[in-house]
Amino acid sequence: MHRKGGCQPPFKTARWSFLLIGMFYGKQRYDYLKPRAEEERRVEESEKKIREEQEKIAKALAEGKSKPIRML
Amino acid sequence: MAQAVQKLMAKVPTLIGAAATYSKPRLATFWHYAKVELVPPSPAEIPQAIIGIKNIVTGVNSGRLGQTTVKDAFRNGLVCTEVLMWSYIGECIGKGGIVGYAV
Repeated sequence: MHRKGGCQPPFKTARWSFLLIGMFYGKQRYDYLKPRAEEERRVEESEKKIREEQEKIAKALAEGKSKPIRML
Repeated sequence: MAQAVQKLMAKVPTLIGAAATYSKPRLATFWHYAKVELVPPSPAEIPQAIIGIKNIVTGVNSGRLGQTTVKDAFRNGLVCTEVLMWSYIGECIGKGGIVGYAV
């Protein structure tokens, strides 16, 4: 069922060269994105801590305001 | 509940056998074509490949490619798309995952 002469060399080389180019590109992009993602995670962690501190303070203030003043 | 699980476990070998009988001819067809199409080019074939690409370029310049029939053009377009899609497969291999980058 194959065509005469099998698979021609241009197509074989094109397929394999695109495969290798794709592998190269994928690796490069991964190496580019990985440190950025780690940096972003680090920044997110530190900001989250600050945010949680502030939320705790805000919550404590709100509770303090909403609690009724006890009659002494 | 336990009976249902037991029944399922009894069915697993038959399912695996059915999957094997289904996939064997298809794998055979795939291998039959892959042996010819997906074999990497030997070093002797690379100059031929360059000549082939040059022929295409001269065909474009001389206007011969404007004479292709729609049927041929459609078929060539499909072949080109298939060749280009291999770059995406390569990207999946390079980044070590199928969907997205695992950073």
